[in-house]
Amino acid sequence: MLIKLAWKNIWRNKKRSLIIILSALFGIWGGVFTNGIFIGMWETTIEAAINREYSHIQIHHPNFRDEKLIHQYISNIKDVENVLLANQNIQNFSLRTIIEGMISSPTSVSGVKIVAIEPDREKNITSIHQKLIDGIYFGNKENEILVGKKLAEKLKLKVNSKVVLSFQGLDNNLVASAFRVVGIFKTESKIFDETQVFVRQVDLKNILGQSVPIHEIAIRVKSSELIDTTTNLLKAKFPNLKIESWKELAPELSLTSGFLYLELNIFMGIILFALLFGISNTMMMSVFERIREFGVLIAIGMKRVRLFLLIIIESMILLFSGGLLGTFFGFLTIQLLAKNGIDLSIFEEGMAAYGMAAILYPQLPFHMYLSLFAMMLVTALIAAISPAIKAVRLKPAEAIRTYI
Amino acid sequence: MSLIEIINLNKIYDKTKVPVHALKDINLKIERGEFTAIVGPSGSGKTTLLNMIGGLDTPTSGKVLIKGVDISKMKEDELIDFRLKNIGFVFQSFNLIPVLTAKENVEFIMLLQGISKDERERRIIELLNAVGLGDKLDARPYELSGGQQQRVAVARAIASHPSFVLADEPTANLDSVAAEGLLDIMKELNEKIGMTFIFATHDNKVIRRVRRIITLEDGKVKSDVFQN
Repeated sequence: MLIKLAWKNIWRNKKRSLIIILSALFGIWGGVFTNGIFIGMWETTIEAAINREYSHIQIHHPNFRDEKLIHQYISNIKDVENVLLANQNIQNFSLRTIIEGMISSPTSVSGVKIVAIEPDREKNITSIHQKLIDGIYFGNKENEILVGKKLAEKLKLKVNSKVVLSFQGLDNNLVASAFRVVGIFKTESKIFDETQVFVRQVDLKNILGQSVPIHEIAIRVKSSELIDTTTNLLKAKFPNLKIESWKELAPELSLTSGFLYLELNIFMGIILFALLFGISNTMMMSVFERIREFGVLIAIGMKRVRLFLLIIIESMILLFSGGLLGTFFGFLTIQLLAKNGIDLSIFEEGMAAYGMAAILYPQLPFHMYLSLFAMMLVTALIAAISPAIKAVRLKPAEAIRTYI
Repeated sequence: MSLIEIINLNKIYDKTKVPVHALKDINLKIERGEFTAIVGPSGSGKTTLLNMIGGLDTPTSGKVLIKGVDISKMKEDELIDFRLKNIGFVFQSFNLIPVLTAKENVEFIMLLQGISKDERERRIIELLNAVGLGDKLDARPYELSGGQQQRVAVARAIASHPSFVLADEPTANLDSVAAEGLLDIMKELNEKIGMTFIFATHDNKVIRRVRRIITLEDGKVKSDVFQN
């Protein structure tokens, strides 16, 4: 009865109600879509960082990440490998040798992180093989190297250019060796492209003259939900090694992600806060126009709590009819644009400086829709409280004789 | 036991600059089946007295007993419930909920009472036919004339099967034909089903039709006469 009456009351003043409903529709539509853009942007950035360098979990010598010394390798590599192979959560892992060194071309020199990998195995962990803009992902000749686009520009390198890598060997002596560029990659991150080069472990073994030390094990688990449990499991198994998930490896990404959700909820809150005043004002006007009618309703036996509920329901209808439509259109817009992504290549240079992809795939997780729903509920309630209190405080004998 | 018994009723409005003694020592008894008018000039206290009988206002002193129950001592929620079960109201104008049809307006009070759908349907048809609006079930108030709207208000007032109906200036905004038509219906309901009607009015058309006239002057009962 109250819902039916509230619905009819909303449409007494069609123009006024429509303005509020359309405000809610466009406000929430815009809010949902904007949230989808920001979350999509950030999730794509995180995904790219995981694919490019962090993977899901990494294992290191406890001091390696701080000091990056060639001696700080994983000594019990066979034991670790056996445990990783036996773990059902783990999809793939790769063993990396990482050495800080210098790269020299005929024109310039630069400091780089030399990452020695097993190319086929690495394909299952990182996306470097998909990021080549020139050349190939290793051939079958000796001493081949992949460099990033930014580094190639800095050192004026092309495919087939020769470079010299120099670094400290296991015996502390300086080692230098010539490599030929076989591929140039371009990722979402300029810094990565400028500071990392990839070589094969087998080539490094020949240079060092002994088996290569493994400094890093990069692990991919079967689904992102398994990251934390697998990390904790491995931490318990190997207390002498440093085992970190991507959230620990890149705390800035994880922290920003958490803040982003908070900020976007605040953003939606601000939109709803603005709507709150509109709805409250509309409801207050509507109550003032119906003082006599409310007086009659109380006189004939309508309890005040029902009158209070009537105003609350009217406020809910006003906000939710526009808000739910806005949410639905926002959802549709996100789904449509998520199919092919939004091409932001014109801002590529700037975005790459922050490791962001040029193609943005909007997305909004379900929990954000839930929190939006809860915020709408609270907004409608707050907007209705003052008009509802005004209505229930009416004295029927006076209200009946009020003419507006 | 009288249907309504008013004992030493006083009402003073003291929130004004000069306190207004609106009702002074009123003592009255109204029995079941009466067709009574409270009359008097403007400011004589007739609406105040009607509000006291209807539990819409509380007396400063004295008692209002309805079927032996002192409603002046009731709390707000109890009063609302009491009104819903015992008292029908017809006001001067703009009585109806404008967004509801005639049928829905009559049904509304029965919904508040929790009456079953079948019973509601039966009473709606019966009552709207009784007030001559059997063909206007789905008409909204703005589609009805003033007289027709007041007839819907009468149907609504008695739909809850009250003990009596209070009508405050029910003919004030009606032309004489509509007013006579409305009074015919009320009189018929009074005679056929014994519904008690109490009017606050200064309309001679009403005064001519009632059997008892209680005249107020300056908040006091000046005269209380029965007529044929």
